[in-house]
Amino acid sequence: MQKEILQQVLLLKKEKKEFAIVTDLQTSLNYIYQPGTVLSDKIQLEQKKIEHAFQARTNGMLEGTELFIENYHRPIQVVIVGAVHIAQYFCEYAKHLNFEITIIDPRGYFASAKRFPDIKIINEWPNEALTKVNIDHNTALIALTHDPKIDDPAIQYALKVKCFYIGALGSKKTHENRCERLEKAGFSREITSQIHGPIGIKLGGRSAPEIALSVVSQLVSEVYKRK
Amino acid sequence: MQNSFDEKILEEADTWLKLGQSVVLATVVQTWGSSPRPTGSRMIVNEHGDFSGSVSGGCVESAVVRECLDLIQNKTKCKKIEFKVSNESAWEVGLACGGEIAVYLETIQ
Repeated sequence: MQKEILQQVLLLKKEKKEFAIVTDLQTSLNYIYQPGTVLSDKIQLEQKKIEHAFQARTNGMLEGTELFIENYHRPIQVVIVGAVHIAQYFCEYAKHLNFEITIIDPRGYFASAKRFPDIKIINEWPNEALTKVNIDHNTALIALTHDPKIDDPAIQYALKVKCFYIGALGSKKTHENRCERLEKAGFSREITSQIHGPIGIKLGGRSAPEIALSVVSQLVSEVYKRK
Repeated sequence: MQNSFDEKILEEADTWLKLGQSVVLATVVQTWGSSPRPTGSRMIVNEHGDFSGSVSGGCVESAVVRECLDLIQNKTKCKKIEFKVSNESAWEVGLACGGEIAVYLETIQ
């Protein structure tokens, strides 16, 4: 790899821009592909294959060539409602998993930069905060306050925009009550059944780090199910 | 998850280069069967044999380090090596899991 290419790659990574590194295994020359750009030199002929592999998010050799492509896509957005203890462990575990986390909590003493270093925090009620985050079907929403005042509006919003993952903390009974409230608000059982509640896979643990681990595990598994 | 922006191997390579070290980048470019690490997995090796990252579950890393040291010594730009199912004669560099991988080595220059 050429040093100049390495520097470009580091910059693109830092700016979280989507790109791919294309390496010609015969010459060991690397090229950077950014969506919407036209490639230069020799690899221009393979533009279509490169675009296809990039969109399919497939790393690997391009068929019939000596070119290897490695894709960098934007992280998956995770919105956590509730800057609670479990959220702290969640952020810790999620560090290496390519998630972009935003935390929403109107309670300033919970959602402080000290408790969540390097994480985007919005210190507002979900109804206002959610309009400031671009939430769509590529977003995961995790509600951790188990306070209906805070969780419910966020869950309703997530159901409407069809987040690919919605998880809500609370026991079976808490979750049943939640689903009843949502039903009264106009969400059918079929819709509310998409919520992962009680949140997380069954690990058996009840401590904050154990619950956070079960939530991270469930989220990763749902990311792969989606593909 | 593939190619995380949080993955820091290339950043580490940059740090090593800035310390004046020679760095070889090893990347899994092809896999067949049950390979331990997906395509795109990386490790870096310097002239002292220090390495970071992984291309398998610990099965072939030592062989990759040796190949990288050769590359640095001979000032070779690149090389592709394939590792297959382990057998008795190649116990040290085989993949016990039964998969096959191709690893591409390139010096950063």
